[in-house]
Amino acid sequence: MSLIPLLPAADPRTPFAYRHGDVIDRDTFHAQVMALAAALPEGGRVMNLCADRYWFAVALFAAIARGMLTVLPNSAAPEHIATVAAEQPGVLVLGDQTDSPVTGLPYFRVDVAAAAPRPTLGDMPLIDFDQRVTCMYTSGSTGTPMPHYKTFGRLQLAILAGAERVWAAAGAPCSVVGTVPIRHMYGLESSVLLPILAAGRMSSQIPFFPADIAASLAEMPAPRLLVITPFHLRKLLEAEIALPEIAVILSATAPLSIELAAQARAQLGCPVLEIYGSTETGQVATRETDRDSTWHTLHGITLEQRDEEFWAVGKVYQTPQMLNDTIELFSRERFRLVDRKANMINVAGKRSSLSFLNATLTALPGVVDGVFCVPERGGDGEVERLAAFVVAPGLDRAQILAGLRQHIDTVFLPRHVVFVDSLARDGNGKVLASTLQGLIAQHIPARG
Amino acid sequence: MEQATAPDLALEREIAGHIVTALNLDIAAEEIVPEAPLYGDQLGIDSIDILEIALVMSKQYGVQLKADSADNTAIFASLRALAAYIGEHRSK
Repeated sequence: MSLIPLLPAADPRTPFAYRHGDVIDRDTFHAQVMALAAALPEGGRVMNLCADRYWFAVALFAAIARGMLTVLPNSAAPEHIATVAAEQPGVLVLGDQTDSPVTGLPYFRVDVAAAAPRPTLGDMPLIDFDQRVTCMYTSGSTGTPMPHYKTFGRLQLAILAGAERVWAAAGAPCSVVGTVPIRHMYGLESSVLLPILAAGRMSSQIPFFPADIAASLAEMPAPRLLVITPFHLRKLLEAEIALPEIAVILSATAPLSIELAAQARAQLGCPVLEIYGSTETGQVATRETDRDSTWHTLHGITLEQRDEEFWAVGKVYQTPQMLNDTIELFSRERFRLVDRKANMINVAGKRSSLSFLNATLTALPGVVDGVFCVPERGGDGEVERLAAFVVAPGLDRAQILAGLRQHIDTVFLPRHVVFVDSLARDGNGKVLASTLQGLIAQHIPARG
Repeated sequence: MEQATAPDLALEREIAGHIVTALNLDIAAEEIVPEAPLYGDQLGIDSIDILEIALVMSKQYGVQLKADSADNTAIFASLRALAAYIGEHRSK
């Protein structure tokens, strides 16, 4: 059993987190983690729903210090929260909101508890390499979210391997601003754990509008790292607002086009590192998309083909992890992405599967038949919005959307709901692609 | 936001038109109820769309929208609230 310090050694006065003009140093972070760890009630697991990245981090590390598992739901859809709660008996919700963001579960407010007077700091707690610290949920090709556990030592190895690559591109450890969800693997690794475990600085904000992104970057010292999705990056560039100097941009969750990567480099004067990874594998490889089509794995991760599948292998994994994509291997460390596995769709960086969406739609009360589709894209880099053809006499659009909203993330709600008398299905019960194309041509207006 | 002043109906209609065009909604601009929530089931607008709308507002009216988070956007409570905010802050 090997033991690792909860937090890396650092000068206690080193600035660590930035929140609307306030600077929180490493010592204060450590003290607030320990204060919260002492205040948390007995229990085995917590669901961390903090809205502020700093309090999310304090709650995460306090739970680790107490040996508690942190459960991270992948969306706020009520049904998903209920499923997660049922799988995680006794789970305590941690948050930084006045009222609990979810109903029906015990709630503990962390920012009040951790803000208590600073304790005298004892020795840094030591954490077992194999301690399970987080439970993430994958979207899953079947649509059923699957729990996936991460251990402390392996997470740390993966973060340090990523830091080696990202800090090298930036020239030094960075101030990190992220626009991405902190309960998903990309946001957890790159915007939360990277600054904590690899001597960076974090922003407490999760900025949304371009002007918010600029403000969050501006309150932190250079070099700066921006953790973002291709969709958000495109909107940031289109806004054409003044931004502080950025050393490097990370992009993940959806394919980054060469054009967008090149435009970002031209407009902002910095490279965009695209990350390849998944909830199961974490970050696996990177490339500078506008200069190199080949992906390079992070230190300590190699890829292997076994039968038809490709696997990520390394000390960062308890067992090898299967990739969700078809790749062409040039070596154990270099590869080309050939194809995403069929059936998965991606809307502005969020993933789901058509089979899950279709099953959800047809399970709604009053829906006789129904099918989702992805109408042809309007232009380069436009977000794909879904449409649905529905057989549901007696229901209207609002009822369909309200029903779906209970089960699926809002980005997957159909933009166009077209009611039809029936859907032609073949002998296998499938709606043929040609049938769908005909329906789309007939009913969905082309994007202006 | 100024609640006392009368709503600028012309600006509301104009902004409704921009929203329908930008998001490729399958309804007419006049069908957007000024007092109804922009988020939600009537229009099916979500946070991705809000970013799209924000971009159009900055191009058309020179207003950079800001919020501490995507969730507390009172500006997007309704078409009327959005139009009132734009009317107050527009630079073109």
